[in-house]
Amino acid sequence: MTDPSFTQSEAGSLIPRRHFLREGGLGLGGIALADLLASSQGLKAETALPSPLPPRLPHFAAKAKRVIYLFMSGGPSQLDLFDYKPELVKRHGEQLPDSVRGGQRLTGMSGNQSSIPMVGSPFPFKQSGPSGAWFSSLLPNTSEVASELCVIKSMFTESINHGPGVTFLQTGSQIPGRPSMGAWLSYGLGSENSNLPGFVVLITKDKSGQPLGAHLWGSGFLPAEYQGLQFRPSKDPVLYLNNPQGITGESRRLMLNRLEQLHSHQLETSGIDPGIQARIANYEMAFRMQSSIPEVTDFSDESEATFNLYGPDAKKPGSFAANCLQARRLAEKGVRFIQLYHQDWDHHGGLPSAIPKLCGETDRGCAALIQDLKQRGMLDETLVVWGGEFGRTNYCQGKLSTNFGRDHHPRCFTAWMAGGGVQGGIVHGETDDLGYNVTKDGVHVHDLQATILHLLGLDHEALTYKFQGRRYRLTDVHGKVVKPILA
Amino acid sequence: MRTKALSIVLPILASCPAASMAAQGAIEFNRDVRPILSDKCFGCHGPDSGHRKAGLRLDQRDAAMKAAKSGEVPLKPGDTAGSHLFERITSPDKDEVMPPPEAKMERLTKAEVETIRRWIAEGAEYQPLWSFIPPKAPDARPNPTAGPSEENEIDRLVRARLKTRALNLRTAARPEALLRRVSLDLTGLPPSADEVRAFIADKSPDAYKRAVEKLLASPAFGERMASEWLDVARYSDSFGFQVDRERPVWPWRDWVVDAFNKNLPFDQFTTWQLAGDLLPGATQEQILATAFNRLHQQESEGGSVEEEYRVEYVADRVQTFATTFLGLTFECAKCHDHKFDPITQKEFYQMFAFFDDIDEAGLYSFFTGDAPTPAIRLASAQSKEKTRGFEALIADSEKTLVDAKRVARNELAEWIARRSGEFVPSGEIGRFSGATPEGNKLQNLIDLSKPAAVSGENKIVEAPFGKAARLSGDDALNLSVGSFNRPDPFTISLWIQTPDAKERAVILHRSKAWTDAASRGFELLLEDGKLKWSLIRFWPGDAASIRSKQTVEPGEWVHVAVGSDGSGRAAGLQLFINGMPAETDVLKDNLSRDINPARENITLGERMRDRGFKGGIVGDIRVFNRLLSAPEIHSTFQPGLLQQLWSKDAALLTESEREQLFEVFVASGGTQPIAQARQNLHKARADLLKELETQPEIMVMRELPVPKKAYVLSRGQYDQRRDEVEAGTPASLPPFPTDAPRNRLGLARWLTSPQHPLLARVTVNRLWQSLFGRGLVRTSDDFGSQGSQPEYQEVLDWLALEFVKSGWNTKELLKLIVLSKTYMQESTAGIELVTDDPENVMLARGPRFRLPAESIRDTFLFASGLLSQKMGGAPVKPYEVSEAFRPAAADPGEGSLRRSLYTRWLRTSPPPAMMAFDASRRAVCSARRERTNTPLQALVLLNGPQYVEAARTLGSQLHAKHGGNLDAMIEDAFLACLSRFPDAAERSILSNLYAEQLAHFQAHPDQASALLKVGQTPHNPKVPPAEAAAAAILAQALFNHDGSVVKQ
Repeated sequence: MTDPSFTQSEAGSLIPRRHFLREGGLGLGGIALADLLASSQGLKAETALPSPLPPRLPHFAAKAKRVIYLFMSGGPSQLDLFDYKPELVKRHGEQLPDSVRGGQRLTGMSGNQSSIPMVGSPFPFKQSGPSGAWFSSLLPNTSEVASELCVIKSMFTESINHGPGVTFLQTGSQIPGRPSMGAWLSYGLGSENSNLPGFVVLITKDKSGQPLGAHLWGSGFLPAEYQGLQFRPSKDPVLYLNNPQGITGESRRLMLNRLEQLHSHQLETSGIDPGIQARIANYEMAFRMQSSIPEVTDFSDESEATFNLYGPDAKKPGSFAANCLQARRLAEKGVRFIQLYHQDWDHHGGLPSAIPKLCGETDRGCAALIQDLKQRGMLDETLVVWGGEFGRTNYCQGKLSTNFGRDHHPRCFTAWMAGGGVQGGIVHGETDDLGYNVTKDGVHVHDLQATILHLLGLDHEALTYKFQGRRYRLTDVHGKVVKPILA
Repeated sequence: MRTKALSIVLPILASCPAASMAAQGAIEFNRDVRPILSDKCFGCHGPDSGHRKAGLRLDQRDAAMKAAKSGEVPLKPGDTAGSHLFERITSPDKDEVMPPPEAKMERLTKAEVETIRRWIAEGAEYQPLWSFIPPKAPDARPNPTAGPSEENEIDRLVRARLKTRALNLRTAARPEALLRRVSLDLTGLPPSADEVRAFIADKSPDAYKRAVEKLLASPAFGERMASEWLDVARYSDSFGFQVDRERPVWPWRDWVVDAFNKNLPFDQFTTWQLAGDLLPGATQEQILATAFNRLHQQESEGGSVEEEYRVEYVADRVQTFATTFLGLTFECAKCHDHKFDPITQKEFYQMFAFFDDIDEAGLYSFFTGDAPTPAIRLASAQSKEKTRGFEALIADSEKTLVDAKRVARNELAEWIARRSGEFVPSGEIGRFSGATPEGNKLQNLIDLSKPAAVSGENKIVEAPFGKAARLSGDDALNLSVGSFNRPDPFTISLWIQTPDAKERAVILHRSKAWTDAASRGFELLLEDGKLKWSLIRFWPGDAASIRSKQTVEPGEWVHVAVGSDGSGRAAGLQLFINGMPAETDVLKDNLSRDINPARENITLGERMRDRGFKGGIVGDIRVFNRLLSAPEIHSTFQPGLLQQLWSKDAALLTESEREQLFEVFVASGGTQPIAQARQNLHKARADLLKELETQPEIMVMRELPVPKKAYVLSRGQYDQRRDEVEAGTPASLPPFPTDAPRNRLGLARWLTSPQHPLLARVTVNRLWQSLFGRGLVRTSDDFGSQGSQPEYQEVLDWLALEFVKSGWNTKELLKLIVLSKTYMQESTAGIELVTDDPENVMLARGPRFRLPAESIRDTFLFASGLLSQKMGGAPVKPYEVSEAFRPAAADPGEGSLRRSLYTRWLRTSPPPAMMAFDASRRAVCSARRERTNTPLQALVLLNGPQYVEAARTLGSQLHAKHGGNLDAMIEDAFLACLSRFPDAAERSILSNLYAEQLAHFQAHPDQASALLKVGQTPHNPKVPPAEAAAAAILAQALFNHDGSVVKQ
């Protein structure tokens, strides 16, 4: 079984299938048209035109049904959070040995620096969980859920700058233009909920730091219905979701009924047109989204206990904690890929004062999300991923001082995964004593992507889309599933 | 659920035209076999020699007939059983079958296997890739320019093909449908209600032709054509990538609109954009057109590797060129030979060589707003006039100065007589020599209150001339003087000692940063051990720069003096080593404007993200606010010689000594007329520079006098250079004209040659796509092996030949197509035809598809009478930008009412409503858009203020016009939105709608008045609020009607 949307085809089926998927089709990650039509007034499923097969079947049995990706934009310092290096503390202030650096290209930020002194983490570390994974004192809550986490200390990437780095992690290519991971999953698996999009993006509000761009959750050359939809912490979580001032649900319903009459009339008088049928369904769907989205974004039915779990921030719309809670609510409703972004981890200077603040914003929400999913019995089928676009250097950028900074470091960084088919309570991969190079079980960005797809039941080599004559994949022509971490 | 849907899918799939085609008639390699081999086999057994498996090649017949390493013969024409290829594709053994399971590709279907079987049985003939063979005219061609009653050649060819499938062209669409179709196609706007009425009433035989001509002559034509062209040109108002700063490139967009409206022949349209700068006597317009090549994404993220991005830019130019003009996917050959098409990796870099000969940086400047070089200034006529005035003044002052110097000779004797005491050069504004008593600063002998701090890792050290500073490379040594700009003459001298032959080191500069500020300012560097002295506006394309031929000896004390005469020309730069003028090479001499950086004074030893003067020692740094003469400079090296001269008895002075003193005399002040002339010259230069700052600039192409060397880059990596290559075109395409220059102009000549197999076809195909929703070649971006074969190659070829023959006349070509019966057919058809041929490949009906994003918005603005007529200018921010990923305030007034072509396009934050309707993000060249149908589109049309405002404006306007006569309102609204009359049922549905809404709003007057405040257009108070609100909903219903957003 290969390309899932064309799998069942005989005899070059590509053209008509695609056609109905597009102009005749429905958006938002492939919603069951027949289903929708059956439930909308007057139209029976038997009269419905062919539709994509939503939700689509994976390539093999999936361990996870969905992903919540907690993206820490800017590149969090693994050396001050997870990758405990006493040797680095001991050799604090010494120049980075050339033998360790090994001709590695540095960014223009520190590449021309005359002196590159190593810098140890000023934060204490302790071990937690069955494998004795290390956590710095900045992550008290995360360390408590250590038994659920698979900490990957041996991540590495190809990019040394943010724009290409984030783009690489999210799309498999450093240059913007390819489909994002969430778009690939929506394309591969469709959506489980016909009233919500399959791929939702949540960004912590009012954060500065390295800018994000809509291409990071775009669909690239995949059809636009697979792109991520940003839910904004405002009254219009989705573009123009609410009726304009002066139009109530009641008058809108009246108008939509008449619009449907006009469309049905056109269908009767002007012959077959799959486009009109889809349009009728889309207007119904839009109307339903107007209630289903506010429902899922309204936290008033959450218990105090839940709010206590996520902490006081959970009541502040747009905060990271609130977005974690939002992610859980979306996961409950069957949204396939929920992408969170938290910016401002780019600590070129002032790291010792800045990183505690960032951890304070995120640590509790991360842990609460894991616990909440676990309590609800959803963790097994929900893959949670935490990580940034690269790591940070073991040497100081600029002058060595108590308020030092670290430059971008592609050669090793830490990410963690939880739930959804990965083993909890393990540590995967190792770095050298100075925290500069991976020494064991390196996990390339394409490997991480391949593994995520695998957990969702998709073969990263088979999930392809033909564009401009070539079959494209999320993992380009690389990537290996990281088998040792699978449950 | 799944099974049910499947059972519906299959019967229709089986009847798809592609599948049934092979069953009829003989096998044709290009149509039937190539798509299978290309898709399933060429990846490992195709043109890419580097990755070819088992030494087996199947894209060439001879190669395929040779025995493989295993001894098996893949292909034996006429002998299916003996052809190993056939055995492998049909093998039940998973270790044997091709494509192998690890390729993760589908196996060949039964139908595909049958096609291969028949092809081998019939002799396994190959055909060259169809698109690489120049088009040939079809046989027995009647006169294409025959009158409208006679058959157009397109129709003859289409009809002939349809006949073989027992089909025929459908009757012409209703006049109103036709007018709507052609209006939207040629102008992106629907006809007005009055135009529809008039057209229906006009029974003259040439009514349609006249309507077409009128549309082609409308200025809106250029706007419509441009909106398609902007997609291939990846036009955007921002740079993209991460920082994504806005950049003013809209003058190029306006040029495109204008070029289409003027019907600039397409070969020229192409040539100007590719190589306008290389045309003899290139005009500003022709140079402006080359901005096409610079519209790719550009980066400025701090710390990025400059060369990595520069290579990326050039590769993007190649890709855009190939997709736009050749319909080929060149980028596949960036890292290895193309897997499907005959394009080698070397040929990719030969193409690369055409596009890399410009003086550009891989990063644009973060701190300064200048257009990345090369750029031109687009001056208004008035500003040009002013500029010329200042230039004349400068020439005048220069001449006056020369004259004044000549006259000054008369006063030399008197000046010589006045000499006395010790010679002290005038104009010294800072001298940093020796240490302060505390020992942590260099003393400033000119102003003791302003020493230079030696801080951080910089240290005071002993030098032969006293105290000096040894620099760490990371710590700046800041002076309190030196804020010179381009018109200011100045001199800086100092002693330096470098510990090693530096590849690059900043000795001194006045600038904010290196690449982050395009080095704007002035700088003295060590580069490959040589001294490099520059005045810079934007490195590398806008600077004056010289470099010493000799290297600086490590470990030795060297005295260096640099200066500028205020002219901003390389000839006006001075570089002295050890008191003598250094032999130099001119690196750059194209400084076009002032250099004023965002930093006050001179800094030594360090610069932001640049390489500092690590381990270097500097001392006795002297700064003069004038250009010193050679003897004076020598005196900063060794005071003795000039002092001897200074003290020498006038009578004993030799002629050459007098001459040296004359130099000192003139340089150090001279006569009053000299001083006056200098002052005038400085003012004129400053005034000119000030005027130049008012002139907007735009990035363009400007060929370097000496081409850069180009190399094959292994795996496409910027730092993995392999063999050097020269500019050239792929061997599989026509030869490069022998008499053409090997530059972009030659490339344009090669491309626009009438014999070229691709340009005309690719262009015609894209225009066809804009009319029919689908190109004759469906893959309008891929005419290669993996692209789709045209069903109507004869139509494509005939049109391509006509296009060339007409002198690349775009308007004539469009006219030819839209006047064809094929285009004019009605678009509705029975279920059989629609399900058999959903994409309308066979052209047995007229085009029917959802309008592009721009047309949807423009249509409703036009229908409501709100659309602004203004053309061109800076991009605008309509309502939707306030909902973009990076929200911005919408422009008040007209900004929300302009055509969508003028909407500001930011790559990381594109206009969200446009994106909901599949507009291109414009990150890279895109030759076709997807067309989706989603609930998000419904939300935009229902709730977006743009559409709500337009609906209420249209509603009120019709209510006022017809005095509330509902039937007349319904009729006009239908005409405005759908360009047709409503039938009785529709009138009745809409009457009911209006009545319901009126009742609703009468019961809820507050809702009515709230609705009437959406947007900025004031409500017409003559229409009562409840009626106006109900009329608004009536218009909304029509805006959301399928018939409004679909072209049919």
